[in-house]
Amino acid sequence: MRTPLSSGLAAASMGFLLLGLALRSWQVLLLALSPMIVLALGSLAPPPKPHLVAVRSLSRDRTDAGRQVDVELLVRNEGSSLDLVEIADVLPREFEVIRGTNHAVVSLEAEGTLRLAYTIRSPVKGDFVLGPVRARSFDPLALGAQDVVLDLRSPLVVAPAMEDLRRAQLQPRRTRPWFGQVPSRRIGPGTEFWGIREYVAGDEVRRINWKASARLEQLFTNEYEGERSGDVVIVVDARRESSIGTEADNPVEHAVRAALGIADRVLAAKNRVGLIVHRQVIDWVPLAFGRKQLYRILDHLVHVKPGGEWRFSHVGLVLSRFFPRGCLIVLITPLLDREALTAVVGLTARGYDIAIVSPSALAIERRMRADSEEDRMAYRILAMERANRVAQLRRVAQVVDWDPATPLALALRRMTAWPRRA
Amino acid sequence: MASSRLMSPTLRWTPIAVLALLESWVAWDLLAVPDRRWITALALPFVANLAFLLLSRGAHRRWARWCGLLALGTTYVVSHAFALGVQVLPALVFVSLLIAQVELRILAERFAPLFLTTITSAQQRQIGSALLRALIRLTIASFLAVVIPLLAADLATAGVVPVTTIPTAFLLSAGLVAVVLIIALLPSLESNPE
Repeated sequence: MRTPLSSGLAAASMGFLLLGLALRSWQVLLLALSPMIVLALGSLAPPPKPHLVAVRSLSRDRTDAGRQVDVELLVRNEGSSLDLVEIADVLPREFEVIRGTNHAVVSLEAEGTLRLAYTIRSPVKGDFVLGPVRARSFDPLALGAQDVVLDLRSPLVVAPAMEDLRRAQLQPRRTRPWFGQVPSRRIGPGTEFWGIREYVAGDEVRRINWKASARLEQLFTNEYEGERSGDVVIVVDARRESSIGTEADNPVEHAVRAALGIADRVLAAKNRVGLIVHRQVIDWVPLAFGRKQLYRILDHLVHVKPGGEWRFSHVGLVLSRFFPRGCLIVLITPLLDREALTAVVGLTARGYDIAIVSPSALAIERRMRADSEEDRMAYRILAMERANRVAQLRRVAQVVDWDPATPLALALRRMTAWPRRA
Repeated sequence: MASSRLMSPTLRWTPIAVLALLESWVAWDLLAVPDRRWITALALPFVANLAFLLLSRGAHRRWARWCGLLALGTTYVVSHAFALGVQVLPALVFVSLLIAQVELRILAERFAPLFLTTITSAQQRQIGSALLRALIRLTIASFLAVVIPLLAADLATAGVVPVTTIPTAFLLSAGLVAVVLIIALLPSLESNPE
């Protein structure tokens, strides 16, 4: 392939020739030789087609958003010697190179190798593929080039960063018959004292309340509040309209991060967790316990991209068909439309406890815009509208208005109980 | 590592320095033109060249850079062909420098970003040796682009090569047409690898 420079040199040569002939000037005619000589020297050694073999190795194939991954690319020249070859390991645009380089221009002898070692990081989650490797061989004067693409691809899954919610009080109000860590307001096995009753044959000796027994001259047994587990369904609003801001800083990305943190925290407390993602399609993960469920939820969340124009009320249909009543719904939505209010009222009427975590799209937008007088005025109006919507929702649900620039744990800590008792 | 840090700005500034040299050369020649009408006429492409080059730096437009260089070359050639007279050696040096400036810019665009990143000393050595080879080839090409036409002129004026015959004219034209045809038929390279 020719480069634009070779065309330019040929055109210049032709121009000098024609001008020299028109002016009948041998000096001008002579100037046509300079670009011709450069062209001739360039074409003396046309660039050979590169025959390269590449091997890529990654320090890990699953990582978290923001965590570094070391990549090593070994390229070996199995063809003739390459005078000038440009090699680039193509990365998805979400990745940034922290150390080293994924791109080099070198000379490669036959059987020569090039080692590119670099460290990358993605600020956003996703299921990515590194590669292919592109190589372009040039002649010494960059007048011609030969391209080759090595179809070497390495998958890399970037999970959303996990929020530390260990101190947040996240537990469902209504419990199920399984043992867990949520006080159930029923007598059963647990650690919180509930009351005493007369001793019955078969009661454990260590449960006998000796002080009360001595005072009343009759054996009494301690009773405890049973600790059970509950159900939590996390609903992530990833509709197209919820995507405001940059690729890394938008309500959908923050919602995914929050969902993962909440799922981890709730599962660690021995509750069942389910997930509904409201995006191009409405997909869900049924309720289940344990670490495996966290990985199932994580796999779903990794693929969440903003999209879809579904009405918010569709979530209610999925909930009523596939999830039991009486579970806690954690709705993670930027609350950009008033329809959410109607949907939440409808769900509460059907017997669901609702808690809303709302990553503020307004706060994200404000950080992106210049701080002019008009912007400040617009922000105040929109903030009032949002506050009004949140106030209306607080009548039926617990609402956390979350500025994603602050840790979610901090926003959740401001809540007194989770969720507010009806 | 320190030399690597210096390499990138050096590479970036060399083509700009060569371009500045060419611009001052043409400006100096313009001032030497005795006829005011010619100065006015030649000032137009010269100002256009400056405007295009500034546009190319500001807006990163490739076509503007090419137009700027074309306007600069046109100013030089027209001023010498019509007003000042063509002196062979300086003209050849000017044309070679213009070509070298383009080549240097291509090299700078390709190599300068590599020295900005944190690369290992082995990578630095490999990249540095490739750059050195490219620079040596460019120096040789620029030298030959001046010397061979001078030699040809010498041979022609000495009468060793008959330049005014019809077969010579045919041969030269046919050679040039062949080169242009070959270049026109080759597929064009549009973009750099990502």
